[in-house]
Amino acid sequence: MQVVRGFLSRYGLILALAALPIFYGVKDLTGKHPSLAPLANNLVSGISNGSIWAMIAVGYTLVYGIIELINFAHGDVFMIGSFTSQAFWSLIGVTLATSTFGVIGGLLVTLVVAMVCCGTLNVMIERVAYRPLRNAPKLAPLITAVGFSFILQNVGLLWLGGSQASVDNLIHQGSKVFSIGGVVIHREDVLAVGLTVPLVIALTLFINQSRLGKAMRATAQDPEAARLMGINVDTTISMTFLLGGMLAGAAGLIYALYQTQVWFFQGFRGGLFAFTAAVMGGIGNIRGAVLGGIIIGCIQQISDNRIGPQWTDAIIFGYLIMIMVFRPQGLIGEETREAG
Amino acid sequence: MRARQFGVAACIAVLSLGAAACGSSKKKSSAGSSTTSSGGTVDIYSSLPLQGASKDQTGAMVKGIQLALKEAKSKAGQFTVNYQSLDDSTAQAGSWDPGQTATDARKAVQDSKAVYYIGEFNSGASVVSIPILNQAGIPQVSPANTYPGLTTSGPGTVAGEPDKYYPTGKRTYLRIVPQDRIQAAALLTTMKGDGCTKVAIANDKETYGAGLARLVELQSKAAGVNVVDNTGIEKTAPNFRSYASTVKGKGADCFLFSGVTANGAAQINKDVAAAIPTVKLYGPDGTCESGFTNPAKHGIPATLGKAFKCTVATQDLKAYPGGQKFLASFKAAYGDANPDPYAIYGYEAMKLGLDTIAGLGAKGNDKTAVLAALFATKARSSVLGTYGFDKNGDTTLTDYGLYTFGPDGNPAFSKTIKQGG
Repeated sequence: MQVVRGFLSRYGLILALAALPIFYGVKDLTGKHPSLAPLANNLVSGISNGSIWAMIAVGYTLVYGIIELINFAHGDVFMIGSFTSQAFWSLIGVTLATSTFGVIGGLLVTLVVAMVCCGTLNVMIERVAYRPLRNAPKLAPLITAVGFSFILQNVGLLWLGGSQASVDNLIHQGSKVFSIGGVVIHREDVLAVGLTVPLVIALTLFINQSRLGKAMRATAQDPEAARLMGINVDTTISMTFLLGGMLAGAAGLIYALYQTQVWFFQGFRGGLFAFTAAVMGGIGNIRGAVLGGIIIGCIQQISDNRIGPQWTDAIIFGYLIMIMVFRPQGLIGEETREAG
Repeated sequence: MRARQFGVAACIAVLSLGAAACGSSKKKSSAGSSTTSSGGTVDIYSSLPLQGASKDQTGAMVKGIQLALKEAKSKAGQFTVNYQSLDDSTAQAGSWDPGQTATDARKAVQDSKAVYYIGEFNSGASVVSIPILNQAGIPQVSPANTYPGLTTSGPGTVAGEPDKYYPTGKRTYLRIVPQDRIQAAALLTTMKGDGCTKVAIANDKETYGAGLARLVELQSKAAGVNVVDNTGIEKTAPNFRSYASTVKGKGADCFLFSGVTANGAAQINKDVAAAIPTVKLYGPDGTCESGFTNPAKHGIPATLGKAFKCTVATQDLKAYPGGQKFLASFKAAYGDANPDPYAIYGYEAMKLGLDTIAGLGAKGNDKTAVLAALFATKARSSVLGTYGFDKNGDTTLTDYGLYTFGPDGNPAFSKTIKQGG
């Protein structure tokens, strides 16, 4: 019994995480046409899909890390990012008939616009709704965040109505870029990973090396001490919301291109997955948020393809519970002020 | 700080008052035309989803209803008619909502002058409203429902239908569109004619979508069409790529989405077409509308539109017996020479009610008499042609129209599909 307990505490989490891929890998290899390509294809789609959740999750984790607030409106900022993106590229005339260079150029401008819009929106939310409640009981900003989530959902509802709105497949999603041994890389995979990786690296560098980044880390550790050291805590917090919002804007653009539809309620599900990713990775930790996002993307793809999409939410949250049981602080979580 | 807080509070108060004002103005405008006279009044309601993907169709229906009322000068025999257009949808759902549908039906039930109820547009919504109206004995006529289980038992329905919708044991529901047994046959005839060898069906799991999919599957063998898959989808899923790859693996060369536009129709068609570029796409009347076919309204892209065909109970409006006259009147009233085909069903639903009430003379305000007269309707000469109702409340009309992607992005009438043809 002692041996089993020791084994589980050491390797239980790894076993739990690998359970689904191992099960289907074995199933594929013992099937009629033994090949690991179907599983690898699921994982490729999972990584690209998970990249979107990762970018949103970073926004959750940044805000939680610095003011210990679960910003429930963050998923809806991501939704506004998608809506802004599709509206802007339509406004500047990027359509299916536009040349490849035109589409690339138009989408790069759209990316900047979506990031600026969502960053600004997030800063405004912080300024209007959270800053006045800085010293209020923790429940006050939490319920305010829920309130802002509903307000943004209603903005989306007024903007494009209650149904899912189809948008142009500008990147020709589903087109193959290349394949290796039956594992196909599509355009949407390249887009999602190709945008997420540099943005997250840039964010990490900014936080680790810039003056404002250091101020953010100092504020996250101890806001009072940071204030005494001359750091403008309010500006630092605003900067955190700006960065989180910008990533949500980028994720919104990728989502619209990846799914080729937008919906006023997409932020609820996306936000829930991203928040779960942040908790799974260890809330307050950027690398943890990215890892959590990718794990959730992979579980989601395997579940959607192999088990059935109606079970996906339950499976994802089942995984979260397992991880919390083995590592309550998340996969690579650190002790927060609250926990410490 | 206090001044700032006061400012925020004042802003919220102003916004709330603005929202309240908008809400109340909408309520007033929904009342429609209404006059009273000493000859007595009767109340007629319509309950349709006026928001979301079907709003073009239902907006046209309401205009058709109002046109019929205007032509009758708001009179039905000796009675003045008060008409109220109710909305069974919510903005959040983007489609019909069970709670809102029940609220609409209860509003009519609480009105002692209510003698006629036009609705619902969605069969699933009628599942909610029929029992409520049935208990009050209010005659209900649907201008759009096609699910067979609302009126009949047998293939394509579920156990207990239709009796479970009529708690009094007496029928109170009729419809002026042919039901889905005929639509399923029309779809299969089209698919067979187009050379489909393996058909994949996805349904939206609603009463209408799942029921029609069941019927197509049941009738496919007799029609000589091979259905390789019939799956209920999660309508809010962000994409259906795994489903598309599954049906591709089954060798499907034709795809039918059985459901309404609001339930993921555009996305699933796009995903299936991306996985199987040569696939032929089909849809029933739930997707045979501009919200699905028109890219400008966030429908499917024009490239897919060319591969899409759909069936709807309406024919070429000009070909109807009173079609030309109806179109001229519609244009004169609304300035629209090319209304959604469902406009004529709204028009006929109201005209049927007005004629029935007028035909009863002094008993026109008696809902029991109106109900009996409706069921007794045989060989009625109308803009839809000559029709009557059987004992179940089903119309004797049987033709379906085939529509393709028109040059303006909207469905365009192609040809009539005769029952058994």
